Amino acid sequence: MGDLIFETRGASFRYRAAPDDAVHQADVAVPRGALVGIVGPNGSGKTTLLHLLLGTHRPTAGTVDAFGRPSADWRRRDLARRVAVVAQREEPVFPLRVREAVALGRYPHVGPFRPFAAADAAAVQRALELADATQLADRWIQNLSGGEWQRVRLARALAQEPEVLVLDEATANLDLRHEMEAFSLVTDLVHAQGLTGLLVTHHVNLVARFVDRLVVLDRGHVVAAGTPAEVLRREVIERVFAWPVAITEWDGVPQVVPLLKGRHEGRGTGRRGAAGQEGT
Amino acid sequence: MRVPVSRSTELSRLLAGVAGLVLAACRAAPPPADAAGAATRVVSLSPAFTELLFAIGAGDRVVGRTQWGDTPPAALAVPSVGDGLAPNVEAVLARNPDLVVFYASGANAAARERLETLHVPTLTLPMDRLDDVPEAARRLGRATGTFARADSLATAFARAVDSARAAIPAGSRPRALILAWEEPPIVIGGGSFQNELLTLAGAENVFGDLLQPSGQVTLETIAARDPDVVILLDAAGMPAWAERPEWQVVRAVRERRFVPVTGSVFARPTLRALDAVRVLERRLAGSER
Amino acid sequence: MNRWVALVALAVVALAAGIAVGPAAIDPATVLRALAGIGDHTTIAIVRDLRVPRALLAFLVGGSLAVTGAVLQALVRNPLADPYLLGLSGGAGLGAVSAIALGIGGAWGVPLAAAIGALAAIALVYRLAVVADAVLDTRVLLLAGVVVGSFAAALVGAILVLSPSEGLRSALLWLLGGFDGASWSALAIFAAYAVLPLALLYRESRMLDLLSLGEEPARFLGADVEPLKRRLYLAASLLTAAAVAVSGIIGFVGLVVPHAIRVLWGSRHGALLPAAFLLGGALLAAADAVARTAFAPLSLPVGVVTAIVGVPVFAVLVRRWAT
Repeated sequence: MGDLIFETRGASFRYRAAPDDAVHQADVAVPRGALVGIVGPNGSGKTTLLHLLLGTHRPTAGTVDAFGRPSADWRRRDLARRVAVVAQREEPVFPLRVREAVALGRYPHVGPFRPFAAADAAAVQRALELADATQLADRWIQNLSGGEWQRVRLARALAQEPEVLVLDEATANLDLRHEMEAFSLVTDLVHAQGLTGLLVTHHVNLVARFVDRLVVLDRGHVVAAGTPAEVLRREVIERVFAWPVAITEWDGVPQVVPLLKGRHEGRGTGRRGAAGQEGT
Repeated sequence: MRVPVSRSTELSRLLAGVAGLVLAACRAAPPPADAAGAATRVVSLSPAFTELLFAIGAGDRVVGRTQWGDTPPAALAVPSVGDGLAPNVEAVLARNPDLVVFYASGANAAARERLETLHVPTLTLPMDRLDDVPEAARRLGRATGTFARADSLATAFARAVDSARAAIPAGSRPRALILAWEEPPIVIGGGSFQNELLTLAGAENVFGDLLQPSGQVTLETIAARDPDVVILLDAAGMPAWAERPEWQVVRAVRERRFVPVTGSVFARPTLRALDAVRVLERRLAGSER
Repeated sequence: MNRWVALVALAVVALAAGIAVGPAAIDPATVLRALAGIGDHTTIAIVRDLRVPRALLAFLVGGSLAVTGAVLQALVRNPLADPYLLGLSGGAGLGAVSAIALGIGGAWGVPLAAAIGALAAIALVYRLAVVADAVLDTRVLLLAGVVVGSFAAALVGAILVLSPSEGLRSALLWLLGGFDGASWSALAIFAAYAVLPLALLYRESRMLDLLSLGEEPARFLGADVEPLKRRLYLAASLLTAAAVAVSGIIGFVGLVVPHAIRVLWGSRHGALLPAAFLLGGALLAAADAVARTAFAPLSLPVGVVTAIVGVPVFAVLVRRWAT
């Protein structure tokens, strides 16, 4: 775990005509081979931070580097060969077969003209297998369920054979099983194949059980960064999410338990509140 | 491409109708006709009728014409009330008419109804063929108290047309194409009055089999029918499109056998129609050389 | 493979129909002889100088419209887009009618004015849709297209009412679409002009696949979205303006043909664009043959035939789409 995939130093970004910075003076480091989670309430700047890391926006102050160069200077195609992103939602408008959709992940490699080679077909097949989507290969993407479409997009990202896999709220619409499977898959890829993983989510508890490092954002500021144990402390969570919580533990990882306001504050488990419940 | 004409026409008609009702309410008594009940304030909603009214001696009674009614020159002194097929009812009423003459067409039916509801006398006449001219002259003559003059003109016209028909030379006749527009090619067919002029001039319309007055055809059809000469309505001199490569397929164009004619006498049936026939005869004979 | 063979065969048959069929009833044997230069002078001229360039031009224009339709559908991510979406038809109409009202005639006066009007409308729409940081906002593009198109159409209405020229009614007929101006030189000019935009658009096939997913997925898969949209917009606009200049506004080809191909082929533009070109070309060549022959000697505007054919086909496609 030597070099840094992403590094920001004092990075700020303000949208045009906005009164405040969406991201302010952020210092974030994502080392190679790490699995990093970025959490925070809605509007905390998670997506903006992600766009800064991926070079979609240029920071209004500070620096944001990817692989040692300013993110915004990267040519899209070059970055796409190394970083794959699975977003929360994608609405297919035009009919495509699953295999064709996954093959789009090879475009950063084949470019606009080079014909597909055997190696590309093999990469597509591998991606389908890893994402558990081989049985979907000949179906039309419009006819897939939400979970199946998610797996297909994950396969597409894997077909890019990236060094970095980014899930941007990608599991928000999935049921429990598919969400767990998605996080597990990313974790396996990171540990077994040396990928770097970046999980942007607001499912604090779940992501805490998978990641090595956690970054907490609050209104554009990085308020905590470190291991889940270091970061998930009651004062931090209560301030960021503006709700009283208690911190328990499961499997050595701190878990956030939101409390019922004005009732039995301080108790660990109650009849109504169940342990392991998701944070906000 | 859709042009929202109908909606704006609808709206202007509605506004005109409302304005007309207001105006009618404001008016005192209707204008007095003369002793014989003939109309003294006539609005003519077709240039053919405008010309005819002046010809039968009722020109001083014309108080309104369409914007297209430019013959005879004296007509230009008469105020225009706008279009004849989509008449501006308010403008017509503003002339305080005791008779409004309409060209028989479905397009102005609504305006006619509105005027009739407001108790303005209307007269609707066809004017599509040469035979319509004497009848129209007599009806207008009766309505404006100039019947004697109108009747004699009508009779003379009808007689002249009859003898012209009888005098059509037998034997081979030049075959002509009457072209109204070039792209797309629009030809004048058998159902038109221009066709009648052509026949009286001793020629044959290559599209005489077309029942309608005009129609869009392809160059191929024109080339196949191989006219000897091309008559151009409302043109002067050689048209620019005569040089175009695709038109060279038509022999008459290749040989530059054009007969351009201008003037309202070719556009609509008038008492001067036989002058038009003589012009055509001369020009057709000239183009054969 | 079979599908491509069938499509090429269809194109060939449509072209053959365009040459063999016409209001001047010429039997096939005579047509063949005329092609070889044997026979009556007029028949040879009709076949070689009128029918052949006309069928070829209809084919090229139909193919170009289908390709442009497919590209615009990907660009605005809307299956209802057609080549005239971006205010183009209104602008062309305004140009044509203005030329006639001002008496600018001549052989190329009206087509040139229509092309200039179309390009001016496109430029205006583009200007309206470029928001902060030179980003081409697709939703604003669509709305701006509607606004500019309607404005131009309203101006056309005003000119028609206020101007005394009789030729204006004919200007509207010209706009309805037709290949009466087809000749070998018109064909050569259009072909020379259309090659570059067509090649450019085909080149972007893979980028179009990405853009169809949405701008953000496209960007993350390596597409440089803003320059790509500008290139596509420019090429598609130039191609459509040229088609309008040569043959007026012919609807349904650009809308329906890409859909028909998608239902059969899927949406990969590497196959979609060439297939759409072949099918669009075949459709328009056949439609033109029908337009000039069905009611001979009268000739229908070809846009009427494409609409009559296009609407039921579109209805079938929509049902298929929904299931």
